[in-house]
Amino acid sequence: MDTPEFQGTHLWDRLCWAKENLEAYQSEYRVVYEDSIDECAKILVPDPNWMACALQGGILPPVWVYWELAKDEAQPDFKKHTRGYLLHQTEPVEAMTEEQAIEYLIMKDCPQHVWREWNTGNKPKMVICRKEQLPSTREWRNAWKITEELTVTDLAA
Amino acid sequence: MAGKIVADTLEHSTAGSVDTQFVVNGSAKSWANFTGTGTIALTDSFNVASLSDEGTGEYETNFTNSMSNGDFAIHVTSDANTSNDGFNRTAGGSNNTTAKGHARHYESGSITDTSLMITTVHGDLA
Repeated sequence: MDTPEFQGTHLWDRLCWAKENLEAYQSEYRVVYEDSIDECAKILVPDPNWMACALQGGILPPVWVYWELAKDEAQPDFKKHTRGYLLHQTEPVEAMTEEQAIEYLIMKDCPQHVWREWNTGNKPKMVICRKEQLPSTREWRNAWKITEELTVTDLAA
Repeated sequence: MAGKIVADTLEHSTAGSVDTQFVVNGSAKSWANFTGTGTIALTDSFNVASLSDEGTGEYETNFTNSMSNGDFAIHVTSDANTSNDGFNRTAGGSNNTTAKGHARHYESGSITDTSLMITTVHGDLA
């Protein structure tokens, strides 16, 4: 199915179209990251309906739009968004592969200090893995255990 | 977009009328239904880009279309894992930024994972 010409259409309306017309896609990818060394590792799970939008193309705004909104929100006098039009007026991004969609999602929903410096310091702060690679026990997610039990080499296998 | 109707008022033949702004302002702007135990997973949703497992019993839904301000309302319901069903169980929500909603599940005073979590968000979109 072709995506309608959505530039200028409210993002909400685009999501309504996607919900009605696209089949949700359950990604097997997960992102494990450490936001703070004082907290347990966190897991980012892609939304199936959002993944369908990303794979379809022509629906989602470019990720820099979210960074701009985050900059506005970081201002001390922020009350409400005045540049929400960026979500709706900016030309939507083309169809992504599943891997590109995960990268987009990391840059959108993980803290910037995590993904910009994920591999600096003593060990990686973030890994992309498959769902079945994650043990379900909470103990595993104790911070400082990412490299001990889920290495970058494992991910390449 | 095809099929667009522009109207300020909806009128019923006998039951009166309502401004369409009531519909726009009163509709949920985001909702999510997810499994919060083991490796968490979204079952279904709207206006959600991803879900973050923040720790035991703590979850964040990240919106695709951000909210206009941080004063939106988030409603959280959850299922009990034990015989606490209906007793000593609470589900709480908070909104720290315009881009995400935070949800927690408690049983008998302790934060704990739950097999079923449902969040609904009302407010203004960016």
